[in-house]
Amino acid sequence: MISAWRSRRRPAPRSLARRAAQRLDRLRLGLVSSARAAGRHARRQLDRLPRPDELPGPFRPSSWHSPIRGPWLTSVLGLVLLAGVLVLFATGLLSYAAYNPDLSRLNDQTPGKGWLGFYLFSWPDHPAWLYRLNQGVHVTLGLMLVPILLAKLWSVLPKLFEWPPVRNPAHALERLSLFLLVGGAVFEFATGIINIQQWYVFPGSFYTLHFYGAWVFIAALVAHTGLKTPTVIRTLRGGGLLRELRTDTVHTKPEPPDGSGLVSPAPAAPTISRRGALAFAGGGSLLLLLLSAGQSIGGPLRRTAVLAPHGQDTGSGPDGFQINITAAQAGIKAAETGVNWRLTVTRTGPASSPPASLTRAELLAMPQHTARLSINCVEGWSTGGQAWTGVRLRDLARLAGADRPASLLVESLERGGSFRRAVLSPAQVMNPGSLLALRVNGADLSADHGYPARVIVPAAPGVHNTKWVTRLTFGN
Amino acid sequence: MRRLTRWYGANPLHLLALLGSFAVAGYAAAQLVSSHPVAVAVWFLGAVVGHDLLLMPLYSLADRSALAAVRHRAPRLPAVPWINYLRVPAGLSGLLLLIWFPLILRLGTNYHASTTLSPDPFLWHWLAVTGALFLLSAAMLALRLRRASHPAEPGTRPPASGPGPGTAREPHDPGPLS
Repeated sequence: MISAWRSRRRPAPRSLARRAAQRLDRLRLGLVSSARAAGRHARRQLDRLPRPDELPGPFRPSSWHSPIRGPWLTSVLGLVLLAGVLVLFATGLLSYAAYNPDLSRLNDQTPGKGWLGFYLFSWPDHPAWLYRLNQGVHVTLGLMLVPILLAKLWSVLPKLFEWPPVRNPAHALERLSLFLLVGGAVFEFATGIINIQQWYVFPGSFYTLHFYGAWVFIAALVAHTGLKTPTVIRTLRGGGLLRELRTDTVHTKPEPPDGSGLVSPAPAAPTISRRGALAFAGGGSLLLLLLSAGQSIGGPLRRTAVLAPHGQDTGSGPDGFQINITAAQAGIKAAETGVNWRLTVTRTGPASSPPASLTRAELLAMPQHTARLSINCVEGWSTGGQAWTGVRLRDLARLAGADRPASLLVESLERGGSFRRAVLSPAQVMNPGSLLALRVNGADLSADHGYPARVIVPAAPGVHNTKWVTRLTFGN
Repeated sequence: MRRLTRWYGANPLHLLALLGSFAVAGYAAAQLVSSHPVAVAVWFLGAVVGHDLLLMPLYSLADRSALAAVRHRAPRLPAVPWINYLRVPAGLSGLLLLIWFPLILRLGTNYHASTTLSPDPFLWHWLAVTGALFLLSAAMLALRLRRASHPAEPGTRPPASGPGPGTAREPHDPGPLS
């Protein structure tokens, strides 16, 4: 049908082709001349722009005075920041994987991830300190990189006021990419830092903002790294790095003008050397490390984290360890956790026996096991190791008739909240350290720590240690 | 191809790298803004404006003002470069405030409700750390001034060629380097 239609519409192929070619030529000539005209017009516009030395304030290159700004300082800070941010990105991706988002939609805080979840894998259940280390590094290193980021941004600030603002399409695209880079960096650091202080002012879920924001940032960072690598190599090769690190303030000289837009054409006398500036930023990192690492390490070092959210002791006694959601906040009523509390244990699939309904006394009569585990929060702090006693999850699986469960859905008495329910993987269920804990450090759980029963699983994110458990459903 | 390169202003690899980057960033950004597009955009833009046009000009101005004010009010400046003994503790204290201001200023955080911990200590801890930083800096400057006024045996060290022990020059004097 279509070919017939075509053949009817093709009466004189040669003359048509000639006419088409002529038309194309005219079009091309027109395009070229209009492009040339547009180019001339753009150049005229550029010529009409004021010259840099006539500009006001920061747009005038000679209004920048620091003698240490230049490719050397920016390259060194850029390399340090790049290394740190790659660790942040890797630990961030691992933390997302630790929630086992592929196991169940209930575990996935960013279900629209699409291809961005390409790397996901089943999170291991050992070693027990895995998530604690991952998040301790992610959050503490994130804090430590703030002064490095500030110094890096300071070192390139004149570029924000470049003149003319756009030289050509390449320059325009690169500036757009830099907007994503700087915006992404500050956005990621700001959301992370505000979240660990539980100041929920950002628009939407922290998980959504921090996860997708990280991808915007890293996409811009990869392009920036690719485009700037030649400059960094050119700047630092030939012993330039060590030579500058041996130079004190008195001998610090401005770099030669190089067209990078970083070197001041009117440098003041130096008040700090380049190594001094690096030490200043590095000193900030060290201070942040000293004042926050204690909340991840725990024990007597916790008190050294005087400015970190979980640096305070929570009192002595068996329940004297960190809390991140109280029974009152979760809306747990005393009547629900009293003598009427029952744990429902069941399994999915055909021919399942009626659910078992267990009292706390019946659970305590089952074989009790003790595991020494810590609760490790996505916010970077850890409870530092408690002795949990209760029933093994795998014993409860057998009770439900699921010897090899494919998953475990844990449900809490909580009314709402993103982590009212969590799904655990087979490895997490079968780990001998995974418990439905009834007691901690030799005493019954307190209300805020999840009485009557809570889950504790090695190497899992803190929120998967569900408190105030009411129902366990093993998948078959 | 050459014409395209000239019009574009860089080699095609530059274009490909940036387009690839925009593709990934756009894919993530579509999800990032999916629930609150305007608010997220405001936050993103606010991140750039807040840092580049607010925070940085403020601390640059503070740095310059400190240099200028102390120079004008105190005609007899110490004989060693002193600005970093002010700059470093002030900068570090500002850094801590910048990071922990929601807790230090006791803004409306969920902190107490969810952790049962009191947010009260953070302000005092920050002030104490700030005080300690300034004290430490003052002690180091005092030590340095003392060394400058009692120089080691002459001849053991080569004379400094700029502001340093023995040369009462202001750090912002136009030296031979400017």
